[in-house]
Amino acid sequence: MSQFKILEIKQNVFDDNNRQAEILRKELKKNKTFLLNLMSSPGSGKTTTLVKTVNTLKDEMKIGVMEADIDSDVDARTISETGVKVIQLHTGGMCHLDADMTKQGLEALETDEIDCAILENVGNLVCPAEFDTGASKNAMILSVPEGDDKPLKYPLMFSIVDVLLINKIDVLDYFEFDLEACIEHAKRLNPNVKIITISAKTGEGIEEWADWLRNEVKKWNEN
Amino acid sequence: MHEIGVLLEVVKSVERYALENDVKKIETLVLQIGELSSMIPKYMMKLYPAAVDGTILEGSELEIEVLSANGLCTDCKKVFRVLENHGICTVCGSKNFELLSGKEFYIKEIECY
Repeated sequence: MSQFKILEIKQNVFDDNNRQAEILRKELKKNKTFLLNLMSSPGSGKTTTLVKTVNTLKDEMKIGVMEADIDSDVDARTISETGVKVIQLHTGGMCHLDADMTKQGLEALETDEIDCAILENVGNLVCPAEFDTGASKNAMILSVPEGDDKPLKYPLMFSIVDVLLINKIDVLDYFEFDLEACIEHAKRLNPNVKIITISAKTGEGIEEWADWLRNEVKKWNEN
Repeated sequence: MHEIGVLLEVVKSVERYALENDVKKIETLVLQIGELSSMIPKYMMKLYPAAVDGTILEGSELEIEVLSANGLCTDCKKVFRVLENHGICTVCGSKNFELLSGKEFYIKEIECY
């Protein structure tokens, strides 16, 4: 038997994934495909928001959606009713998507044709924040019933996103949700985060959100 | 169950490293985890056998070194333990600090043949 030895690796656990994510981001830039990684907890209204977003923008750009779930294709079916291309990704019990799984999803989506790919990540505020998917921009939804203290409880998620959508704003009066405090907590973690209050149900704020997305897609695909 | 996904990522990295460095058998894997990282050592230990099943790490021991969260007080420039002092400088009582360590998550080393 060969000699026993200690090999020093000293490598950040997320290095491999971060590297793959960087490669993917470069490819997307080259192919003029914008990728939005949309994250939130279960039940915050990701799919409803997505349907509204897709319906607002589908006539002006080619959109493709990747639905990531541990199992089932409930969300993919809902999205497919909008008429855009949808694929379902099963993470097989994993609580997040990494860059490699995202790449496979993009291949299945055939992104050559697509201006804006949207990844609906697994409903979870912890793990998806740790794994860079290679997305051009990261968005998250926090809904009013979840409570205004969520930025304090899940700081990493709030600190890595480019845009925070505060959803279900139509029911604000029925919950003890301090909107100002929530925005202040989020801004303290992430001074540059863009915050938009929306109601995916009534359509409030969707235009502002669609404007943000339209502008980002344009910037990404321009040069 | 955040830990299992992350452990599988660790396994992937170590397998690649083992292949590149002609490692035959791994006895111990040593990880370094900061107090403020989102990993809980107790769960990692518990999940480890399942995460390494069928890989080069099967049967190996997991060792976790916890790295403390240290902050540099931006007012008096002294270093203090952030977690046990609730973010308050032990010297001057200021709440303003710059985090020096505590969020690490490293694969430190392997003991192997």
